[in-house]
Amino acid sequence: MAPILLWLIMFLCLLISVLKYLMGLLLRYSFPGSKIKKDYTWQPTVSVLLPCYNEGETVYETIESISKSNYPAEKFEVIAQDDCSVDDSYAWIQKAQQDFTHIRIRSGRNAVNCGKARTVCNALEHSEAEIIISIDSDCIFHPDVIRELTACFAEPNLGSVGGRVGVRNPNDSVITVIQTIIYYSAFQLYKIPENWTRSVCCISGCLFAIRRSLMLELEPQIRGRNWFGIPVNQGEDRFLTHQTLLRGYGTYINNDALCWTTVPNTLSVLFKQQLRWRRSVIRDLFYTLRTLPQHVWKLHPNTVLTLVLTPLGAIVGLLVILTMLTSDPLAWAGPAPLITYLGLAAVASWTIGKYSPRETLKHPLAFGAYVAWSIVSTLFITPLALLTMDSADWGTRTKEPEPAVERQPEPQEVSLGNASH
Amino acid sequence: MHKSALTLYRIFAVIALYAVLLGILSYAFIMGFYAINSTWAAPVILSASDEKSLDFISKLVTSRQTIEDLKVDATRMQSTLTEMTKHRADLVALDPELANAIERERTHDRATGTELSALDTQKQTDNRNTQAMLTRSQQTAARIRKDLAAGLITKTDADTQLAALTQAQSAYTDSRIGEVMLTDSILDKTNTGTKSMDVLEKQAELRSEIAQLDVTIAVSDKELQEDNRQIERLHDAIAAAKLSPYYLSSTGNTRIYFAFVPYDNQANAKVGAPIYDCYLDMVLCRKVGTVKQIFLGEQDATHPIFKTQVRGFTIQMDLSHPNSAKSKTVFLGRKPLLF
Repeated sequence: MAPILLWLIMFLCLLISVLKYLMGLLLRYSFPGSKIKKDYTWQPTVSVLLPCYNEGETVYETIESISKSNYPAEKFEVIAQDDCSVDDSYAWIQKAQQDFTHIRIRSGRNAVNCGKARTVCNALEHSEAEIIISIDSDCIFHPDVIRELTACFAEPNLGSVGGRVGVRNPNDSVITVIQTIIYYSAFQLYKIPENWTRSVCCISGCLFAIRRSLMLELEPQIRGRNWFGIPVNQGEDRFLTHQTLLRGYGTYINNDALCWTTVPNTLSVLFKQQLRWRRSVIRDLFYTLRTLPQHVWKLHPNTVLTLVLTPLGAIVGLLVILTMLTSDPLAWAGPAPLITYLGLAAVASWTIGKYSPRETLKHPLAFGAYVAWSIVSTLFITPLALLTMDSADWGTRTKEPEPAVERQPEPQEVSLGNASH
Repeated sequence: MHKSALTLYRIFAVIALYAVLLGILSYAFIMGFYAINSTWAAPVILSASDEKSLDFISKLVTSRQTIEDLKVDATRMQSTLTEMTKHRADLVALDPELANAIERERTHDRATGTELSALDTQKQTDNRNTQAMLTRSQQTAARIRKDLAAGLITKTDADTQLAALTQAQSAYTDSRIGEVMLTDSILDKTNTGTKSMDVLEKQAELRSEIAQLDVTIAVSDKELQEDNRQIERLHDAIAAAKLSPYYLSSTGNTRIYFAFVPYDNQANAKVGAPIYDCYLDMVLCRKVGTVKQIFLGEQDATHPIFKTQVRGFTIQMDLSHPNSAKSKTVFLGRKPLLF
């Protein structure tokens, strides 16, 4: 009975995933009306919150890209908050503050390292803008980004808006090829049906816009997140999206709001990143199950299914893979999965090359390695995530302190300096 | 409360993580071990009710039944063949007799035909003379009627004389009939008539029947030989089948133990080679018996670990620990990990 149930859940998860991709394709090309009606004339004030930890020079590039925004300079500001980086990140923030004087950049530093979520909240304390945009400090942003995100808020019931995250380094390695295809298909297809019902379940923290009022309402919850008393610093993007939906607001991803991130190009970094994400997914599943009555009545069925079945699929997938490896250990090495992934890679590569030339893949067939990665991911990451839910480690930003960097004598909160225009 | 839950969670997580790690390492080790090990064999417990055994026994019974059917068929065919051969011999013996009879008749005809031709010529001359005399008898009849009218003779005398003339006419007609019949008889004896044709047809039929019998006998003989060969082949097949583990398992009174050996491990499968059974599939091994017999017939089996189809053969094990027949694998020749 149990194996049948497992396979049933797994089949349901796969079916819904495939249906979502197909629906995404259908909606994208047949129902352009499902897209949001943007109003570019509405130009609210915007605070771009930039939490930063051990990014080094990249944070400078990030601020530089934001400084090139075509949004009216007097309408937005950048609030960069360093989370006690052990490298020279803060120095680069200050350099950006000095170099890009045509926009308002404020910088600050946490008293103690407290993670991304709380760093965003710290930055928020200094913002008075109508729209809050939280970004990652390793991304490069398109000049249209702020304009595209704010234009969506013309729809009154929309609480949060995200942008599309592209890959800056698609051809670094096999791993980046895989991620490029996954990112592209997720944003361009998988999330489209969620967009249709204004119920995107997870807006990427790389580019997350939210109404100030809603953010302020959620701030105490973000600060108070904990796992049996241990502060939770990860997955604030999923948490924020989820809470937005629970409060009756819509969520949306505007694929015209583009940013580019550097994805992990080694297996160990990818593993750590995926482990962190999987913890967020599982944490969110527990939260969803705990508040299921609320979900069932408040949320769109599409959202409930995604919130429940996506993480459940990860857990059930683990059991299914375990069963498969004991009953038929070499099944995964058969030609069917490889041919399927190579076929998908060919189609995805052609599409990416046509519609997003910046992400053009030199060796798309490397996506065949996804057969092995999907097994590793299902088999190792889910149990590890389940057993390390108490970990607060970000995983991909750890650095040894740089002796050459001048550190302040003791960590203390640095007041935000204002850079005048 | 939180602290206790967290402590419990962490204890559980550490234990589970180590268990997972151990499981992964064990799994990887087992996979690697079976990928390179060349001494394993997979015990197989055969019983008469196994699908393969049932299939085997069914085929064996069918083969035996086929032999019986073929034997009956061959016996019947042999009888028919003997009968046909005898019949042919009779027909062959009849043929020269018929030929002799025909020849004798021809010789006789040739002799009598010449004589009858001479008689026919004589008869024709006689008939011509008689006809001339009968032509003159018309004048005689007219004179008799004239003499009667003149009262020279009595009516009785006239009737007597006229009757004599009529009788002579009738005799002439009979003579003519005889001549025609004689001519006909000569024709029969000097030429090939329908009667002769009938006899020749009979001779041809006789020879045709002999030829047909020859063909039938040849075909039947071949069929008989083929049946005999088929019987021999089936006997050979049954003899070979009796060396199969399925035959042993289905007919033996004592419990017999078998194991599947992949071709990769063939070098270690020798009669008398020791067999080891191990705990956890590969460690703490003990000798549990020896290889008793090797069956050369190819078998397919599922790899006990990789679950792929593997080609190999079967061995019979002489087990001192019968429970080892239920192990997933045993090892031939030596312990797999030296302990």
